[in-house]
Amino acid sequence: MAANYWASTQYLHWQYSRETLAQMRQKLKDEEKHLNQLFPLPDMRYLSCFFSKLLARLGKNMPVPIRQQALATAQVYLRRFYSKVEIRKTNPYIVITTALYLACKLEECAHHIKNFVNESRALWPSFITASEIAKVGECEFYLISEMSSQMIVHHPYRTLLDLQTPLNLSQDDVSMAWSVINDHYLTDLPLLYPPHVIAIAAIFLALTLRQPSTNAQQPQTATANMYSQASLRKDASDPTITGTTTQQKKSQHLVNWLSESNVNIKAVMECCQEIISLYDLLETYQESVCKEAISRFTRAQGLDK
Amino acid sequence: MSLSSSGHTSQKTSGGGFSYTSKVHVLDKYKVVGFISSGTYGRVYKAIGKDGNGKEFAIKKFKPDKEGEAAQYTGISQSAVREMSLCSELSHPNIIHLVEIILEDKCIFMVFEYCEHDLLQIIQHHSQGSAGGSGGGGAGASQQQQQSSAPTNNPAPPSAAAAGGKTPIPAPVVKSTLFQLLNGLHYLHCNWVLHRDLKPANIMLTSSGAIRIGDLGLARLFRSPLNSLYSGDKVVVTIWYRAPELLLGSRHYTPAIDLWAVGCIFAELLGLRPIFKGEEAKMDGKKGVPFQRNQMGKIVEVLGMPERRRWEGLSGMPEYGHLATVGQSQQQQQQQQQQQQQPGNGGGGGGAVGQQFNERGINVGLERWYHNTLASTGYPPISASSGANGSNPADTPGELGLDLLNKLLEYDPIKRLTAEEALRHPYFAGEDGGGKPSANCFEGVDVRYPHRRVSQDDNDIRTVSLPGTRKTVGIGGAGGGGGGMDEGGAGGGKRGRYVGD
Repeated sequence: MAANYWASTQYLHWQYSRETLAQMRQKLKDEEKHLNQLFPLPDMRYLSCFFSKLLARLGKNMPVPIRQQALATAQVYLRRFYSKVEIRKTNPYIVITTALYLACKLEECAHHIKNFVNESRALWPSFITASEIAKVGECEFYLISEMSSQMIVHHPYRTLLDLQTPLNLSQDDVSMAWSVINDHYLTDLPLLYPPHVIAIAAIFLALTLRQPSTNAQQPQTATANMYSQASLRKDASDPTITGTTTQQKKSQHLVNWLSESNVNIKAVMECCQEIISLYDLLETYQESVCKEAISRFTRAQGLDK
Repeated sequence: MSLSSSGHTSQKTSGGGFSYTSKVHVLDKYKVVGFISSGTYGRVYKAIGKDGNGKEFAIKKFKPDKEGEAAQYTGISQSAVREMSLCSELSHPNIIHLVEIILEDKCIFMVFEYCEHDLLQIIQHHSQGSAGGSGGGGAGASQQQQQSSAPTNNPAPPSAAAAGGKTPIPAPVVKSTLFQLLNGLHYLHCNWVLHRDLKPANIMLTSSGAIRIGDLGLARLFRSPLNSLYSGDKVVVTIWYRAPELLLGSRHYTPAIDLWAVGCIFAELLGLRPIFKGEEAKMDGKKGVPFQRNQMGKIVEVLGMPERRRWEGLSGMPEYGHLATVGQSQQQQQQQQQQQQQPGNGGGGGGAVGQQFNERGINVGLERWYHNTLASTGYPPISASSGANGSNPADTPGELGLDLLNKLLEYDPIKRLTAEEALRHPYFAGEDGGGKPSANCFEGVDVRYPHRRVSQDDNDIRTVSLPGTRKTVGIGGAGGGGGGMDEGGAGGGKRGRYVGD
């Protein structure tokens, strides 16, 4: 439940081992072999990045811009939904609109369904062709049903804010870690690890990657350059490191704090690895590739009508 | 059985290319045996599982928002989303148990465990005398109707009570009920959930005497909300149970609002009628939420006028300026408004008497209400029950009950007891010989409470009722809402929900 992650539906029903998640995906693939062959798709992380940008655009265009937490909840909904439903049988633009509409209700920052439909139609007229309130309404049933009405999502942001003081994090550290958390929604991590593990991984990356010289850098652009920095400073993840910079002292403090806690350090390191691989992969992200791939299967099957 | 909605569009092209069809069908799993109640959200049915073990359920059906020739998907209401998400997450012996949710034919079916009783039903049973055990019909039904919509209420009590047929709810039942209620509420608050619509009709009892808090349609998480709680719902909590800080327009209210409602429910269990039975001022489309002068007046009549020296945040309340007009006549109010509201003169002014307290910190007005009420309901006198004359101190809620009530009906939300503090109150420790609360409300009680009334008029759960055809007074009125789902409090429209409206 809300105060206790270990009693939450997120932990009980929506956290998988990598093997289980792979089996679920394989099952989807086997059920729709033909569709899979007909319409190849880019790496799921590219698609996730594409969806995340669509969500952000839609969120920004609403009469009142949608807050990050609702965007994050919507991304988790998409990932849960597409772990159970073959993407090639859906119109992702409708699903994205619906996920954000529902996430906003859940995060208590709701807007009327009309606003979502109007804005998404204005943004993507070739994929949302008519006034589609009924389609978004029907998709909402589909989404909630596939999620078994389990809609409350625990995010790592809260742990980050809770740990700011105990770990002596500066505002820049928090901003950087916040951006890393924003980016982790592009991976499978939300389905694999508890939010506090992800938050600690984000803090760890923020501390080890943020060199003193990058202090002035905007967090948003900084995350894009993270991988190159990471490869330069791989040794920073060695807990025995003794350094003199503030950041290194903070890292050391984090490592000490971790070793005294019950947090699974191996899981934290796996999360770090996953995020670093993500930044590597995103160097070659091309929006047009995702857009065309989606356009192919929606058009061919009339999913955009 | 055919769907009532005739104008179904072809399923092929809807829903972004896919069409949604439920994998589970309500009627495959449940046999509907009758209708319990209806409200703004839809209707509640009693059902029996088809798996052969005869288990009973209450199925709450949310209808599509707009009804017409062809039911269309219009988006699920905020209230339904809250109730679905919270009920799926919560798990506690004093919270209504959700069995499953089925989304089928544009409707949402929430399947709950069946609860045979609710507090409103129990209160009505006692207010009409145990002899009226035929099932809380007549007057009860009309009172139910009145309570659930809190309209221009009639101050006259139900006729049976006027005839003097009242019997008190046994003191151990009151204690167990209150303890279990607080226990469930403590769980909700620990999990950052505000209920926001506690009232007798929303508190269920199983036939084995377990309390289950129901109707989470107004409940929400309050931990670091993205927007202020006020901005989401302008009006919360049925008027009679609405805390003073809400009546005074507080934007950032706290779990303390639920504890005020618990205080009101405690008082109602003892007095068999709402302690603060005010009239709701209607929403004015242009002016927004009106000041609830009459309701505030009912509270002031018993407790006295709130004062800044005892409630620090009082003068910061948005409606503070109106407080001075409480208890005044229309004419006086107009004069007051003409004279301009003088900020220094709020609270304590206007002719109403301020709060007075005795040496034990008990509000003197409340103490008077308490002793008069206990006597008129028929509890034995507290002084005589201290062991002498063969009377049992457990037969009355006693002085400790008053002390607890006094701390729940505290004006200042910061000083009001939390659920956790209330659970630790000496009243529950039974130090005065009053005993500890039982886990079963009905333990050692002879009273046989009538079963929930189930109407056979409409048990076609698949029918989408058309506007104007909804069954009204008298049908299932005594039901009070099965399994945690009464009329949805003050009525969806009045509570300013803006999603799906």
